[in-house]
Amino acid sequence: MTTPRPEARATPGPGPRPEPGPVPSRDAGSPRPPWHVTDALALRYAEGSAPETDAWSLEKHVESCTPCAARVSAAVRASAAGPVLAAVRAELLTSLGHRPAPVPVSASVSASTPVPVSAGRSPLGRWARLWWAVGPALRGSWVVAVVLVVGGAFGLAHGAGFQGAGSLLLAVSPILPLAGVAVSYGRHADPLYEITAATPSGGLRLLLTRTAAVLAVCVPLLTAGAALLPRVAGFPGAAAWLLPGLALTLAALALGSFVGCRAAAATLGGGWLLAVTGPLLAGPDAADAGAAVLASYLSGSAAQGGWAAAALACAALLVLRRRSFDHLEPR
Amino acid sequence: MNPSPAVAVTGLTVRHRRTVALDRLDLSLGPGVHGLLGPNGAGKTSLIRVLATVAAPSSGRVELLGGDVASHRDRTGIRRRLGYLPQEFGYYPSFTVREFVAYVAWLKELPADRVPAAVERAVRRVGLADRIDARMKTLSGGMVRRAGIAQAIVNDPDLLLLDEPTAGLDPEQRVDFRELLRELGRETTVVVSTHLVEDVAAACTDVALIEAGRLAFQGTTAELTSLGGESGAPDDSTTHAVERGYTAALRVHRASGVHRASGTHPKEALR
Repeated sequence: MTTPRPEARATPGPGPRPEPGPVPSRDAGSPRPPWHVTDALALRYAEGSAPETDAWSLEKHVESCTPCAARVSAAVRASAAGPVLAAVRAELLTSLGHRPAPVPVSASVSASTPVPVSAGRSPLGRWARLWWAVGPALRGSWVVAVVLVVGGAFGLAHGAGFQGAGSLLLAVSPILPLAGVAVSYGRHADPLYEITAATPSGGLRLLLTRTAAVLAVCVPLLTAGAALLPRVAGFPGAAAWLLPGLALTLAALALGSFVGCRAAAATLGGGWLLAVTGPLLAGPDAADAGAAVLASYLSGSAAQGGWAAAALACAALLVLRRRSFDHLEPR
Repeated sequence: MNPSPAVAVTGLTVRHRRTVALDRLDLSLGPGVHGLLGPNGAGKTSLIRVLATVAAPSSGRVELLGGDVASHRDRTGIRRRLGYLPQEFGYYPSFTVREFVAYVAWLKELPADRVPAAVERAVRRVGLADRIDARMKTLSGGMVRRAGIAQAIVNDPDLLLLDEPTAGLDPEQRVDFRELLRELGRETTVVVSTHLVEDVAAACTDVALIEAGRLAFQGTTAELTSLGGESGAPDDSTTHAVERGYTAALRVHRASGVHRASGTHPKEALR
């Protein structure tokens, strides 16, 4: 809009302020009276019969007031100029290579319903918001890594005929959600971290949303993968990793409240890998020993009960530490 | 206008491991554009981070927009009315400018029906309207900085904190940006950390000068300028006058600091 607006002239001109005089007024204590575009004014504006000053005020106002902007654009679309505008818009979008958006068409049909001018281009659809909520992990290399691990296990089992592929997948499954948490949140993982930390939705809420997204990808993929691989007799089932995975993830969040998510996930993931691979270094029957150790971690109600208790304890610690995510994590 | 100023800080101390970034700072800021000046390492970013509620103070009391940042409930309310541009900030490279700004609007809990218009207005105000659907990774440094300013103002904040906002802007963009600052400062409290004295001369109504974690000077830009005295040089300008005022205020503060507590403050004791 290039129309000169009287409000704009009140702004001091660019460049240095000329003299060290009194401080310019800040309009202290004078909130503007709420003014809105009436239907009558919107109609006159659409017809082009509104006085120039009224048109200026209206144009300035609709820049910041969505309901009024919707009212005015509905009035314009309903006026004689409506079909022309719709045609111009469609032509412009086609020439720019866009698919014709359905919204303007439906809006011009039901011109009386106030539709925000930019609703057709809104980036805030339900799916967009869901996509935003899941955070960096599901956009980045982590999701590729999960798919590669599952695919690799299938390759080993069916391509190389390796019988232990299922146990191998089970052994690495608990650390994949940990890795997802590590690349989802915090100063090292999220480029927007400092900006999100200053918002009401940042902090623990965002971390939990993103962790949930990570688990929502991990749990079905890894469990189904382990279930479809050939079973080894006497070895725990495909779902045996779920409680350890949950416990380790919650432990990473709780520990992350002290040292940051990346360091916490690295510590716990490294610890789990050591515990699982440690016996492999022991002796000649290493592979059997490793499988036995893994089975002892995962099989039986005592082991699973222990993981459940650990998960509960970590969740409780996380609740106690929930406020620590309100500020930037320690360096 | 308000019974309580937008920013009321008393006895604010911030420590990073062993160093003291802010040392029992008292500061009160009302509406207007406040330039936060000071030598490198004086504690400007530490102060902005505390005011942005992203860093917790080691001690002291911080009240923003009438709420106490130490209280979780108040802090959430404050954050909805806050705009913050960090000195260095990242972005998701595949997001468009519109998505980037809308994402922050969503994080700031703006009602969804107001977001599209608010995003377009914010992007227009920083002069990026023609690139609104360009991906962030295709933008130049100055454009990224302007997108950063757009995300800070998308919720029409009552308190706007900008850490080195003019870094990376070319001279023409800087002039436009100062214009925007003056416009914003008429209704809200704007705190601009900068090391460019001309930013202050052109856009700030008030100045807070920080040196070694303490407040060295606070007053209007005119008062700072008058500290510098008259200059006989024929090419004297407002910027030069503010520069002289800045130097004079620092000198006075350092002299009084040495008298007051010689040896207690490592940075001052060196001088």
